[in-house]
Amino acid sequence: MVKFVLNGRPAEAPEGMTLLAAAARAGIDIPHFCYHPAFPAEGSCRMCLVEVEGQPKLELACSTAVQEGLKVWTETEKVAEARRSVLEFLLADHPLDCPVCDKAGECDLQDYFRRYGLLPSAFEEAKERRAKKVPIGESLLLDRERCILCTRCVRFGRQVTRTEELGLFQRGLKTEVGLFDDMPVAHNYSGCLAEACPVGAITDTDFRFKTRAWFLERADSICPGCSRGCNIIVEHSSGFPRVPGSRKIFRIRARANPDVNGHWICDLGRYGYAHLDTGRQESLRTKEGLLPGAPSWEAAVRFLGEKLAGLRAEGAARRAAVAASSELSNEELYLVRRLFLQDLKVHKIFLVDPQEGETDGFLLTSERTPNRRGAEGAGLKLGLPGLDVLRGEVDLLILFGLNIFERFPGEQLRSFFDSVAAKILLTHQAPVAAWEFELILPGAPSAEKSGSFTNVAGLVQSFAPVRPAGGQARAEWEILLDLAKASGVNAPFYSGLTGLEDIRREMGRECPALKVTS
Amino acid sequence: MLTENYGLADLATIAGYRARGGYSAAVKALRSMTPAEVLDEVKKSGLRGRGGAGFPAGMKWGFVPQKTDQPKYLCVNADEGEPGTFKDRFIISHDPHSVIEGALLASYACDIHAAFVYIRGEYEAEARRLEEAVREARSQGFLGSRILGTEFSLDMAVYRGAGSYICGEETALLESLEGKRGQPRLKPPFPATVGLFGCPTVINNVETLANVPAIVLNGGEWFRRLGTDRDPGTRLFGVSGQVLKPGIYELPLGTSLRELIFKHAGGMKEGRTLKAVIPGGLSAPILRPDEIELSLDSESLAAAGSMLGSAAVMVLDDRTSMVGVLKVVTGFYAHESCGQCTPCRVGTGWMDKLASRLAGGRGRRRDLDVLERVAGGIVGRTLCPMGDAAACPVLAILKKFRSELEEACEE
Repeated sequence: MVKFVLNGRPAEAPEGMTLLAAAARAGIDIPHFCYHPAFPAEGSCRMCLVEVEGQPKLELACSTAVQEGLKVWTETEKVAEARRSVLEFLLADHPLDCPVCDKAGECDLQDYFRRYGLLPSAFEEAKERRAKKVPIGESLLLDRERCILCTRCVRFGRQVTRTEELGLFQRGLKTEVGLFDDMPVAHNYSGCLAEACPVGAITDTDFRFKTRAWFLERADSICPGCSRGCNIIVEHSSGFPRVPGSRKIFRIRARANPDVNGHWICDLGRYGYAHLDTGRQESLRTKEGLLPGAPSWEAAVRFLGEKLAGLRAEGAARRAAVAASSELSNEELYLVRRLFLQDLKVHKIFLVDPQEGETDGFLLTSERTPNRRGAEGAGLKLGLPGLDVLRGEVDLLILFGLNIFERFPGEQLRSFFDSVAAKILLTHQAPVAAWEFELILPGAPSAEKSGSFTNVAGLVQSFAPVRPAGGQARAEWEILLDLAKASGVNAPFYSGLTGLEDIRREMGRECPALKVTS
Repeated sequence: MLTENYGLADLATIAGYRARGGYSAAVKALRSMTPAEVLDEVKKSGLRGRGGAGFPAGMKWGFVPQKTDQPKYLCVNADEGEPGTFKDRFIISHDPHSVIEGALLASYACDIHAAFVYIRGEYEAEARRLEEAVREARSQGFLGSRILGTEFSLDMAVYRGAGSYICGEETALLESLEGKRGQPRLKPPFPATVGLFGCPTVINNVETLANVPAIVLNGGEWFRRLGTDRDPGTRLFGVSGQVLKPGIYELPLGTSLRELIFKHAGGMKEGRTLKAVIPGGLSAPILRPDEIELSLDSESLAAAGSMLGSAAVMVLDDRTSMVGVLKVVTGFYAHESCGQCTPCRVGTGWMDKLASRLAGGRGRRRDLDVLERVAGGIVGRTLCPMGDAAACPVLAILKKFRSELEEACEE
């Protein structure tokens, strides 16, 4: 650690850290545009200039390393004047179209002007006219008038994806970001360009004009799209403040985690949120005449609890099957194993996952499910024998999720399902076909429940609900716990479990690999 | 000293160069001196860079790591883009082998085995002359492997720029030489440690290197017999403008500016009087006639609020409009700003828009205040020295010729 003096107060930072990062550690914001923690310092926006005692000129906070005894001032009049000047320069050639700009409300230029500028401009010349709607990728539009030439997008293509679609063209005031040979950005990380843009120059048509940043609520989550477990921020709305509207997810953004995804997420994860708002199974469904009255959790749990209790009869457990999925959380997979395998002695427990895909060589893995390592840690193995083998062998089938429908042709499924007396489905997405399920129990996606996933590298990451589950939906672990209690099996054990923390405690004991530490 | 043989028809050929003692410094160094001894003589000479910044050449060479696994490079900066400057062109066209020999000695001192000459694209004839000289030197064993039968090898290539002022800035030159967009790099790291292709690199101006053979031959002390203590030797002063005899004058550093203009360059043209002098290329802040009682060396010019720069002396007469000069200055830098950093990109463009209005007769007095503020927002705040190069001359014109600019305003 290096000791230095920041605005007159003693501070310390690891050796080699930049003044900008060291100040951030001490809670002091140094404004910047071109600096991005994912890249080496660029030093071109000149916004982060600070005063270093003994130096005749202002120094760049983004590229100057802390040194023992360095005296740094970030709020002097000299610094304030330099910031005002840079802001005046940037705004001199800026269209000031914030009212129609998607970035308004989360724009660094806007925020810094509010914080460090607030000066009338002396600029009375004609502004440069530039192209305002240049398509640079499938969902990316470039507005050159808003661009401040921080080159984060250019450097992203150069240093992260190494695809180098974007570059700087022309020079001086005519300098502009453009595509080489008009070849658009067409990789799986295109959304990162809009996200990295500190102003409204690159906007994402997936988000553009749909809402305003200040209407959104934000919460941390883990991307369930593959086994990387990228850290994300889910931005959603439950309507306007005074006009309650429908629930809607508007955007998914990357949340920095150097151990997992750095600062980025892939397009598959970024744009794959539609299923959270459409095609959801949010209500209980029971087979006509199965239960009296409107479907209720109480009645459903009682009914299924009895079914499970029945598995303790001689030979019954052999004629039950569970198809779980590694889309479930660690806690849920642990409960599946504990309840069905250990306590009810059901041995036909299968793991049915989504089809594998291609890895993109960066973040996206071939496992298009978030928790394969977690399933392995819970002792569940991938695979389902052919449906022919199971036909006539199963009286009670409990399905988690809809993966099975993608894995087998409809005819095969139909003839297998017809042979099963009682079929129960736990899902947060509504099944397409009207299968004859005794019960459909509405579960919750990871964005609407607490839990943890174990990623491809074995890292256990916990998550909390971004928003509550809608309708009658409940987290699968809550449902499983209720069913365990209703079945009466191993009552002393299950009656001691009241919440997720209790489950995690037991899980940590029985499946050390799934121990939740963060 | 440097130019005594210039004008002799065969000097540009290797035979003519050798007939007048050319390459004897190379022979002396490679046969009887260690690289450290060569470096030592150059350090002792106090030779300062002739490109504009005036950094001591020996010290620059000393920054290159002696022991490294990477290749090291020498770049000869022949981009000569500073307006008013034409000395390197003069050296290359008269005496190209002196540059090659100087480069050879610098490479020997720093254990470098590959050298590039980055020459501005407009210097077509000079580039061809250099290329021919490189071929000659290679054919006579002064370039190539095992030069003069020693263990030392050096090859050299001539690379032509594409017409950008900023590529004369050493790190922009490296970017351009690497085939990238010519724009300066953030320093540190400096080229001596991370230069061309990420390797340790020495970058020297043509005139700097042309001085090296005589230093190695005669010793560093010998070089100091001319010039000032802190800025020894001679400079090629390129005088242009309204003087009777514009041209290149090789004079000891420390010669007075008045003497250069009124004695060597023949004084003002018939019927003209001196109005101003730009003493070191367009970036050098302008001087009034009452400021020319000045010794031409780095320290004196800096003390006078200007700089020696590339030693290109532009002499302006009483018919010259300062509004016109202002417009030329702002126009040039707005055109040449690489556009990378905010103050230079926007500031130079803004200054030029203000100067254009002034030159168009539609200026207002408050525009001069704005101009001053914009220039002030550039100075000291840019990524490379070009910001100062663009803004300092504007500030000097504003300060020294404000009343003339005000008279040109509408209101």
